[in-house]
Amino acid sequence: MMVLTVSTYMMGALQLGGTGVVMFLLLTMIIKSTLIIRDFMELRGVSTLWKVIMYGWLGIVTLGIAVAYLASS
Amino acid sequence: MKATVIETSEPKLLPGDFAIWIFIFAELLVFGIFFLIYAVVRAQNVELFNQYQDTLNREIGAINTLLLITASFFVVKAVHAIREDKLASCANWLYASLGAGAGFLILKSTEFYGKFSAGISMDTNTFYFFYISLTFFHFLHVILGMIILLAVLVKTKRGKYSEQEHTGVETGASYWHMVDLVWIILFPLVYIIR
Repeated sequence: MMVLTVSTYMMGALQLGGTGVVMFLLLTMIIKSTLIIRDFMELRGVSTLWKVIMYGWLGIVTLGIAVAYLASS
Repeated sequence: MKATVIETSEPKLLPGDFAIWIFIFAELLVFGIFFLIYAVVRAQNVELFNQYQDTLNREIGAINTLLLITASFFVVKAVHAIREDKLASCANWLYASLGAGAGFLILKSTEFYGKFSAGISMDTNTFYFFYISLTFFHFLHVILGMIILLAVLVKTKRGKYSEQEHTGVETGASYWHMVDLVWIILFPLVYIIR
């Protein structure tokens, strides 16, 4: 997660933009969020309902950000 | 003749008090709507958002991300410690997580101070309206998370938790991880994506 955070920062520091960069940023965001949900919040092994709520939330937010970005570019 | 044993494993329960999860889901819903509105408004004002995003301190944003992830890791260690009945270790990890959380608050406060002292407010423009409202709303959640962790620390120091009963530690930890999760999305969305 530390490495992914530094890579996210580097993208910003270099002022990189564009669809490819944003998709990479969203992918790193999903990976970090999944690690937090699964390992830190300990949702591994809980009822499917709770996983659907948490990962569904993450999916909808990420998809919404991606669609809004693509619509503006 | 051997008997066949069929093992059925029940799903695990959510860690901590179930009530905190209702609160967490509600908080995530609010932040999720906020993120989506930000993304849509940004799509209609790309140049403005890109221009003023450059005025943000990305170094502070990145360090704050590392601080929150570190604090979350320390909280995980605190939960593991109490499950092994190691109260002193649990308390030490909670001190460490509070320290990292305090680091976040100090850095974020300096960022806010810089903006406010430069005359920037929510009325300055649409970007700053979202930047200040989103980050300040999250800032308040970090404070609440730290208050909860502090309460858990006090009860740990008083010996109120054990290997058998540590729901409070898991409850505080779950809330803290939610605060971390929200920032993991907020940082690239507001500070980086352009």
